[in-house]
Amino acid sequence: MNQEDLLDNEKVERVLSPHPLSFMRLQSLCIFLIVWGVLIGWLVNFSEFKDLFSSNEWLPILVWGSVLIVVGIFASLITIRWRIFLLFLGMFLAGVGVMVWQDWTSEAAIFVPFFSIAMSVIGFLLVELYRRSHKYIISNLRIIFKGGIITKQERTLRYDKIADINAKQGILGQIFSFGTIIPISQSGFGLGSDKSFAGGGVGLGGKKGGGILGFFGGGKDVQTPRARSYYELHGAYPYKEIKKLVEKLVQGGVITQYQQEQVSFQKEQVDIQKQMRDLLKKQRDTKDEGSGEDIEEEEEL
Amino acid sequence: MAGSLVDILIFAPLAPIFGVLLLWFIQLLFIESQKFLLAKIRPEHEPLCRFTNFLGILFQTICHALGYTVTRSGISKFYVSVDYGKVSPKKEREGVFEWISNSFLFLGPFFIPAFLLLICLYLFTSGGFEVATPPELTALQYTFTEQIVTFGRSLHIFTQHFFGFLATIDLLHPGHLGFLLLLLFLGLGIRPSYIGEKRQEKIDMLYDLKNIWSHIIHRPLYVILLFLLAYVLFYISLALNQQWYVGLFAIFGWLSIIAIVSLVVTHLLLLMIKTTDKIQGHKKLLPYITLPLAYILMRTLFLFIPTEWDKSISLITMIGCTIIVLFLLVRKKKKKKTNTFKAKIDMKALPSIEDETDEPGGSIR
Repeated sequence: MNQEDLLDNEKVERVLSPHPLSFMRLQSLCIFLIVWGVLIGWLVNFSEFKDLFSSNEWLPILVWGSVLIVVGIFASLITIRWRIFLLFLGMFLAGVGVMVWQDWTSEAAIFVPFFSIAMSVIGFLLVELYRRSHKYIISNLRIIFKGGIITKQERTLRYDKIADINAKQGILGQIFSFGTIIPISQSGFGLGSDKSFAGGGVGLGGKKGGGILGFFGGGKDVQTPRARSYYELHGAYPYKEIKKLVEKLVQGGVITQYQQEQVSFQKEQVDIQKQMRDLLKKQRDTKDEGSGEDIEEEEEL
Repeated sequence: MAGSLVDILIFAPLAPIFGVLLLWFIQLLFIESQKFLLAKIRPEHEPLCRFTNFLGILFQTICHALGYTVTRSGISKFYVSVDYGKVSPKKEREGVFEWISNSFLFLGPFFIPAFLLLICLYLFTSGGFEVATPPELTALQYTFTEQIVTFGRSLHIFTQHFFGFLATIDLLHPGHLGFLLLLLFLGLGIRPSYIGEKRQEKIDMLYDLKNIWSHIIHRPLYVILLFLLAYVLFYISLALNQQWYVGLFAIFGWLSIIAIVSLVVTHLLLLMIKTTDKIQGHKKLLPYITLPLAYILMRTLFLFIPTEWDKSISLITMIGCTIIVLFLLVRKKKKKKTNTFKAKIDMKALPSIEDETDEPGGSIR
């Protein structure tokens, strides 16, 4: 961070980047691609089923694509993000496109594993680029979250505006000492919600006559701490140390109940002192006026 | 029927029990040795130790949960972390149910992970392995000695199959590679004790044994009942002239053998890690690169020169090459150390050190 970006009396405590393994959700997709690439390569070229695959040149492509799409659907349903499915679908279509364009369909047994592995390597590089685009600056006055590969994003959060701190550490985080700290602001920034909905319908009535259709359902949502990785301390390392530092700074920046009482008491004291000062001033003024009159009288005499 | 009646009726049923106990004790010794190795490498490999702790705790909590499921107590809470695990039952049950669920907690981690490997092994070895008692053993009698022989023979047959599989394991076969990884992971996790950040005297083999012993003497009646059950099973086997009794205990023996083998493989890995720690810089990565590279090169070579022993030779070459690379790197490092005259302080720094033997204020020139 440049010196000119800092405020008066601001001192940078820590500059952080997410831990390399903190984006394991994305990296696991790349790992799956490598594993599946190797597996399909083995199945088609070396396993006892290789004769089955060699009977039809489209069979390896179909098996490869089907598994990609099924895994994509499962992953999308679990994470509630259709982009994973679209990504896998896009990858499958791109692979098929290249094979048809270059007339490599007969070489699918070699192309498909290499294509999968190449895609996964590209995926790893993109995830790493995304990780490196994050920068968190913890100063004595605020936390600055910076990020973005193309569009640069920045969030600044003053410690006195932090209402709550949520910290979480997965198994990988526990093993490698990293975790995610979400500072929730008073405006509610840093909170998301989990929505669930269940519905059902029933149709009544015969084949000939008109039927009655009923639909019923219900839903609920639960507020949960959630933010984009650009707006939280994602994969903060070393976790315990950073958490302690942030909590200490938040404690230092927020007036506690006891301190509030102290402040109001001091306010009262100041008011009393002000009143006393005014009173003294008034008395001195009246004294001065009195003494002024005496001097005038003496002068007249 | 050969053999005295006392031998057959009283001592013979104890034979396979002693066999299982002996193997289990060997397993305990290996576990203790592994814990020692892990404690040694802990300062430089904190995440690895945390990972092994997690595996150990995971197996332990799974075993405990299994105990509650078997006793129909239900599970209300299941929590696993790197240094702590907790399973709470839905219904607090006492007596024999509590005893069984605790047995799963204390003894499960020794056998249940190995049972998982046994299932995998059965799937991978073509057509499974010999489960039935070989015909020559059915002619044996039911004395203590012959029960021991039957038990040992069953273990021998199993070990032959198991080692046969390991010696010809195809690391380019995804299933076989998965089995090896599982063997390593389970080997790292087969231990009930936790390796903490600081050495704790309480958590060692004796502590585990104490736990198990107190569990046994807590309800001696149940242990007596178990023994009685074993005797009844033995008499039934005797009456029907079937080696069921030995067969049952032989399975526990197999599990112990699997556990010991997985612990040995894990030991090799940990020793390799410990040795590479002595190598400075990026050179320490060389043995880890040599390991897969040597295997792949050998397998590629055998594509052009087909042989029946390609997998075994590749495995031996892989292990041999890694050992040679390790030896060369460690030896090179040692040689370098000797050239520095074993001086702890850098020679260039000496002029600034004051010499107390000379006049005050004097220094080495």
